[in-house]
Amino acid sequence: MEKIKTFIHRLFVPHEENNFRAKSLHTDFLTVYLVIAFLMMMVFKQGNIHDILGFATDISVDKLYQLTNEERQKNNLPLLTLNSTLSLAAQKKAENMFQENYWSHYSPDGKTPWDFMLGAGYKYEYAGENLAKNFLFSNGVVDAWMNSATHRDNLLKKEYTEVGYAIVNGILNGEQTTLVVQEFGKPMSGAFAPPSVEASEPVGIVVQKAVQPKVSPLKFSFNFNVIFMMFLIMALALDFYFASKFNIIRIGGKNTAHLLFIIFVLIGLFMSTIGAII
Amino acid sequence: MAKNLYSHLKSEFKNHLFDYLLLITAGIFFLILLNIFRGQRVIEFFVLVSFAFFYIVWGIYHHIINETLHLKTVVEYILIAFIVIFLLKIIILP
Repeated sequence: MEKIKTFIHRLFVPHEENNFRAKSLHTDFLTVYLVIAFLMMMVFKQGNIHDILGFATDISVDKLYQLTNEERQKNNLPLLTLNSTLSLAAQKKAENMFQENYWSHYSPDGKTPWDFMLGAGYKYEYAGENLAKNFLFSNGVVDAWMNSATHRDNLLKKEYTEVGYAIVNGILNGEQTTLVVQEFGKPMSGAFAPPSVEASEPVGIVVQKAVQPKVSPLKFSFNFNVIFMMFLIMALALDFYFASKFNIIRIGGKNTAHLLFIIFVLIGLFMSTIGAII
Repeated sequence: MAKNLYSHLKSEFKNHLFDYLLLITAGIFFLILLNIFRGQRVIEFFVLVSFAFFYIVWGIYHHIINETLHLKTVVEYILIAFIVIFLLKIIILP
């Protein structure tokens, strides 16, 4: 117990035994952190070469479906049923966006979301679409849709009874992009009729190409980053506090500057989880 | 503890007001650019790298002004900047 106490003391409290600087902030420790960060980066890069879905994002159809129905449940609306034909339409829409290189509800040659639904064999009474790209996590996608009035209206439209998703990775405008397409619909009862004028504007689409790994490397990496930066912030704050308290003057970087830099980067890290919706 | 920490922080910022305002301005600028280029991963990573290099230059400038520049100090700024670049690269450009 005493050994652990001494170790933690050396790690975080500046005093004569650690050359008046918390050991966790010594150059050799920082070098070890750098090597770990570099190795992690290389491992993840290697993983991406093998095109493991889930490296670029941690978005899954199951989670999107669950979160969408949770939002509808909160608003006392009937839950949606996952429909494979709508998911096929969403998949086709996402693939078309990559093929024709556009980020819009309408393709450059005039194809509408409704064309993809009808093309997949889904005859609807009501239909709608939500699109999202470059989000890291499923809850970020649904939160963004819920924070946008038009997407929220689509997600909470009482007329919809079914939903389909696609999550597709590809190159859009020269950048690696993850597209999420969400198609809503209420199937036409009885004979086929032309698309209803009441069909809402499409907002987004998601396509799922493969089964995601059970343990998401991206989620692990994100959590690791947050925990590591919080550790650094704690070490810097403690070192600054004790150095100030004991009036220690030493050669080294400014803890306050390091703290500001890491805090800004941490805020940036959270911002980078948010993509774009239309 | 919090009161003591606050008074030391206040004193540190007061003694180097211009330097810290410069760093905070760069930080806010970094967040604004990230927000503008949201979803454009390559540009986001470029913004991060630019901010990290600014931070290293800021550190060198700050210690030159205060006549406390030492190789060890420069290495410390470089190490922290690159740790952050490597870690965030996994998230931004996997």
